[in-house]
Amino acid sequence: MGDKSTPLLAVLQLLRKYDLKGTEEILRKEANLGDAEYENLDLPEVELASILTAHHTESDPYSYEFAYDSLKKFVENSLDIYKYELSTFLYPVFVHMYLILILYDHNEHAKKFMEKFGPEQEDYYQEDLKRLAVVENKDQIKGNELAEVYNTNKFQVQLSRDASTQLKRYLHEQKSSPVIINIINNHIQIDIHDGPGRTQAQVKATVGGLLGEASRNDNRTKVYYGLLKEPDIQVLPAPIEDEDEADETPDKPKKKKAKKDNIFMKKPKSDPNAPPNDRIPLPELKETDKIEKGKALREASKRVQLGPDSLPSICFYTLLNSGQTAVCADICDDSTLLAVGFNNSSIKVWTLTTVRLRGMKSAEKLQDIDREAGDVLVRMMEEKDRDTCRTLFGHSGPVYKVAFDPFKTMLLSCSEDSTVRLWSLQCWTCLVVYRGHVWPVWDVRWSPYGYYFASGGHDHTARLWATDHHQPLRIFAGHHSDVDCIQFHPNSNYIATGSSDRTVRLWDCLTGSQVRIMTGHKSTPFALAFSACGRWLASGAGNGEIVVWDMSTGLPTATLPPMHSAPVHALAFSRDGTILSSGALDSTIKLWDFSLISDESSSEESGMTNLTQKEEKFLLRSFATKNSPIKNLHFTRRNLLLAVGSYEGSS
Amino acid sequence: MSDADLAYSSSFTVDSMKVIAESVGIGSLGDDAAKELADDVTYRLKVIVQDAMKFMHHSKRQKLSITDIDHALKVKNIEAQYGFIQPDSLPFRFASGGGRELHFIEEKEIDLSEILSAPPPKIPLDVSLRAHWLSVDGVQPTVPENPPPLSKESQKLESVDPITKLSKPATKDAVGKPVCGKAARLKASESVHVKQLATHELSVEQQLYYKEITEACVGSDEGRRAEALQSLACDPGLHEMLPRMCTFISEGVKVNVVQNNLALLIYLMRMVKAILDNQSLYLEKYLHEMIPSVSTCIVSRQLCVRPEVDNHWALRDFAARLMAQICKTFNTSTNNLQTRVTRLFAKALQCPSQTNNESGPSMVASMKESEKTPLASLYGAVQGLAELGPEVVKVFILPRVRWLGERVEGALSGIGGADRLAAGNLKHQLLKVLAPVVRQLRQPPDLPDDYKREYGYLGPSLQQMVSKQRTSPAGGGGGGAVAVVACTPPLLPAPAPAPAPPAHAKAVESVASRNVVITASPTPQSPAPSTPPPQKFVIVASQQKPQQTQPASGAGHIVVHTSQPTIVRSQNVQSMVVTSGPAGAQQPQKMVVVGVHPSHQGLQASSSVTGVSQAPVSVLAKSVFARSGSGPQPQPPPELDDLSHLA
Repeated sequence: MGDKSTPLLAVLQLLRKYDLKGTEEILRKEANLGDAEYENLDLPEVELASILTAHHTESDPYSYEFAYDSLKKFVENSLDIYKYELSTFLYPVFVHMYLILILYDHNEHAKKFMEKFGPEQEDYYQEDLKRLAVVENKDQIKGNELAEVYNTNKFQVQLSRDASTQLKRYLHEQKSSPVIINIINNHIQIDIHDGPGRTQAQVKATVGGLLGEASRNDNRTKVYYGLLKEPDIQVLPAPIEDEDEADETPDKPKKKKAKKDNIFMKKPKSDPNAPPNDRIPLPELKETDKIEKGKALREASKRVQLGPDSLPSICFYTLLNSGQTAVCADICDDSTLLAVGFNNSSIKVWTLTTVRLRGMKSAEKLQDIDREAGDVLVRMMEEKDRDTCRTLFGHSGPVYKVAFDPFKTMLLSCSEDSTVRLWSLQCWTCLVVYRGHVWPVWDVRWSPYGYYFASGGHDHTARLWATDHHQPLRIFAGHHSDVDCIQFHPNSNYIATGSSDRTVRLWDCLTGSQVRIMTGHKSTPFALAFSACGRWLASGAGNGEIVVWDMSTGLPTATLPPMHSAPVHALAFSRDGTILSSGALDSTIKLWDFSLISDESSSEESGMTNLTQKEEKFLLRSFATKNSPIKNLHFTRRNLLLAVGSYEGSS
Repeated sequence: MSDADLAYSSSFTVDSMKVIAESVGIGSLGDDAAKELADDVTYRLKVIVQDAMKFMHHSKRQKLSITDIDHALKVKNIEAQYGFIQPDSLPFRFASGGGRELHFIEEKEIDLSEILSAPPPKIPLDVSLRAHWLSVDGVQPTVPENPPPLSKESQKLESVDPITKLSKPATKDAVGKPVCGKAARLKASESVHVKQLATHELSVEQQLYYKEITEACVGSDEGRRAEALQSLACDPGLHEMLPRMCTFISEGVKVNVVQNNLALLIYLMRMVKAILDNQSLYLEKYLHEMIPSVSTCIVSRQLCVRPEVDNHWALRDFAARLMAQICKTFNTSTNNLQTRVTRLFAKALQCPSQTNNESGPSMVASMKESEKTPLASLYGAVQGLAELGPEVVKVFILPRVRWLGERVEGALSGIGGADRLAAGNLKHQLLKVLAPVVRQLRQPPDLPDDYKREYGYLGPSLQQMVSKQRTSPAGGGGGGAVAVVACTPPLLPAPAPAPAPPAHAKAVESVASRNVVITASPTPQSPAPSTPPPQKFVIVASQQKPQQTQPASGAGHIVVHTSQPTIVRSQNVQSMVVTSGPAGAQQPQKMVVVGVHPSHQGLQASSSVTGVSQAPVSVLAKSVFARSGSGPQPQPPPELDDLSHLA
């Protein structure tokens, strides 16, 4: 389409937007615009607005450079209390100026503009800038994912009231150059809060998202982050006397046990933050599941109390001869099975104990078994012991995540072939293939109660599934980029997702809505872990940093210093919630003092004052492995830390 | 800024497009078209690479692979580039010509029939799982599965610049002792904490370990010693004990040299060997203690109580090899280690009266006995130099051969039994190290007279050796083949050996047999890669030595002295040396049997030497004589019985 008709098309689009059909008809006739061009009326908002309002600046690419320079000076010269908040403006203004320059075919100027001001943007934006700088002419904007995101969404900036007044005054003075005003009007959402301007540290804690900070309104919804009340059902006759209380509370074996020893007779106070037990329907426990739960509780009673003075022992499982083929690993809750997903589409399951992996008998043989027999579960398995390792074939692409269900009867896996598969660990076959994601599925997780599971993938969505439905129950859309990691809240009511847009979001399984949006990561989060109590969420990112979020406010509680020099791909809380362990591709495992982190944040409710100085002491220990990047971390019920890594040869 | 420039705007050039177009058969691509193409291709490629990075991240890798690109293409609904599988990075080749520069990937033509006929490639090993303790109650055990607690680099840094230790934040990353517990509490309570540059205290466990190891290394239990040496050679995390170990060795050598305790010296040298073999240690700091100890064991005047009986020659050989290993590992342009060591040995070879002048060897004879370097030291110096390679031999030994020959001649004609033995050994050693060098230097024909003129007393023997080596194919090959040397050691009126049963593994020391046995394991430090002189009488078949043999089982190394024509019955023997001597003054021949094959139990008087290294039978003997001496052989000290490990 020619340059001349562009403004006309813009006007047409505007008319259509406001549904002014008659005028539209007349204009089309007068301008001799054919139907073909008429169909092309999908000018981006930015173009439309710029054409209509700032038409005259088209001819003057230098004005952009000048305007940006002047804005920069304004920010630099403003008082310290406003400076840091105002500086968050620079990046979105810069991005949109670049895009507008390209839109008006000032490609050379755009390039110069990028080269001049690009390097002085914040470090964490550099990755995005590199992606954006790829766009070098008008046609490429339309197809480019990142440019589309910037054009169709508003960048969120938080300002104090005073700072916004300052900004308004500045913009008023700069009447001659409407460029910035246009950009702010069209592409930047200013969220004004009362109170003093934030400090550098405060600003730094929350900036970094692809589209700026989360606005305050996003995180107002109440989140029931407490744990579910455990149903008082007598599961088993107590096998050992001192463990009768253990059988009383089968549902959340992980965390309550230690406290319960003394206050068992007292009914546990109901947590004010806990959701009602029937908020989402949970599956009935099967008889076998109850046995499993009982076992878990007995184990949990033998748990070691961890702390800075009593660090856990770590047992490291090294995958030998795997080269670069091993992708992911998972250890089941009772630490008896290890599953590893490979690049070559296969999944291997190892037993970590002396109990071998057994298959179920064939259908004919199963018919002969007396179903009323007490040991029917034992009888239906093959008699003869089988291997210590079994392989599952079925995917047609790299397996990005494997996950055992809480009762270790099933295994989920997701793959590049855009499917999620459910495998039986009794028949050792694939039971269901869940199709729904369009592109590769990056992560899949079970609900802590089984039955539900969640997946997230390249199609920017996260999905909630139930094992007996082939369609997803919920689709959580809202991320602006891939959903890279996903995690169920311990009470199964919420799902946390981490995305390449550098936000972590919390979704309500019941309503399907987004209840928290957390910004502050400077790089893509790749691992998520909820603390045992359900209030804290830890996320590990590509640049090695780990952020701990408070679910009640959606704000970062602590940003652990990036001690890891490579992406963090594994996070695990100890079962008593005192230690956070992280494993990264730099072949180290680090232990963090989580009780200290949570104590400090609850003692100073004001939040993020002087947290930065204290970060150093959160790190307890660091353990290096022999060139074996960490794939998974798992705390056993007794608080022994199991780690899985694949040896990549000496170098 | 320049970095960022590159990052933001790297792109394909128009020239690249043209070259690519040419390569697919489009001859004339217009400039405009090429420009458009270049821009578009740059854009598409960047987008694909950016997408591929996602796949790399989710495969938990830090290196982009070809499959990542394939998957990124698939996501874009583009057919993947099947068949490009390359585990390693492809090197770009560069070519220029006609004013154009070109980077390209070399594509070799592959002959399919070759692939079809080739044996199928080995199946890769299956993935397996192995568990170990990364940490026990917060402390990382120093097992081989874990990385060494202090990497070599940091050990080096610490020794070069101890201040760095102060600037480092406490011990969070170092994994020796936990920060928690008493130390942490102490640290907290003390307001003024004086940081020390080096930690001198060892934990209780380390003290225990040190005690156990040192006791085992010099104790009498061979099994425990083997274990202790194994631990020294393999365990990571010994660096904290290293200063003490080195002091232990150097003090031990000092004391035992004075006391002439050969056995202990040998044990200490084996400790040195084990420490040298440990990959995780940064030894540079301790060389000043190690090198004097080792060189002492090479050139010391006396290393044992009875030089005429005890086999201190093996210790010298072993220590010389250690020295060569040290030189090879630690020599740098700054420390000039090899130069200094060479100078040390060369000095020992110099005639004391004249420093650099080699012209008047005959004067030496007139010198007083006491001024001369002892023959044993000469031997050591020769051996030490020989281990450093043929070039060193050529420069430092060869010019002195005339003088050395005179010394040998003098000693051989003299009376002292020990001296004669020493002279014999020295002569033998000289011949052995010189022969290959001379062989390279001189062209045939080898005339005895020439040799005599040039090399003095040793000339004729040397000529024999050289000509023998020229004819022997094994010697010519130069590799690890068998080189058998028939030497003519002077025979003392020695007491006849007590006949030992062949299956008895305790090697009976012989007066004349210097080289007892050579182990089966291939020696890693062959002195010169190009033309190595035969290191020993025999280099045994390279089959790996099985687990440490029981002394009574009959396997292992056997040295037999017998007055009978010998038939060795043991089949497990890996090597043996049979020395038979005549009753009279006739020259004895040494017979060496290597890697006895069951079918060749009898010793045949054959002079063929097989070059095959696997289970060969290499017998060389000129004659078999029965040594019919009488009188019991003095029993060697029991600790000396097994020197086989020294090789």
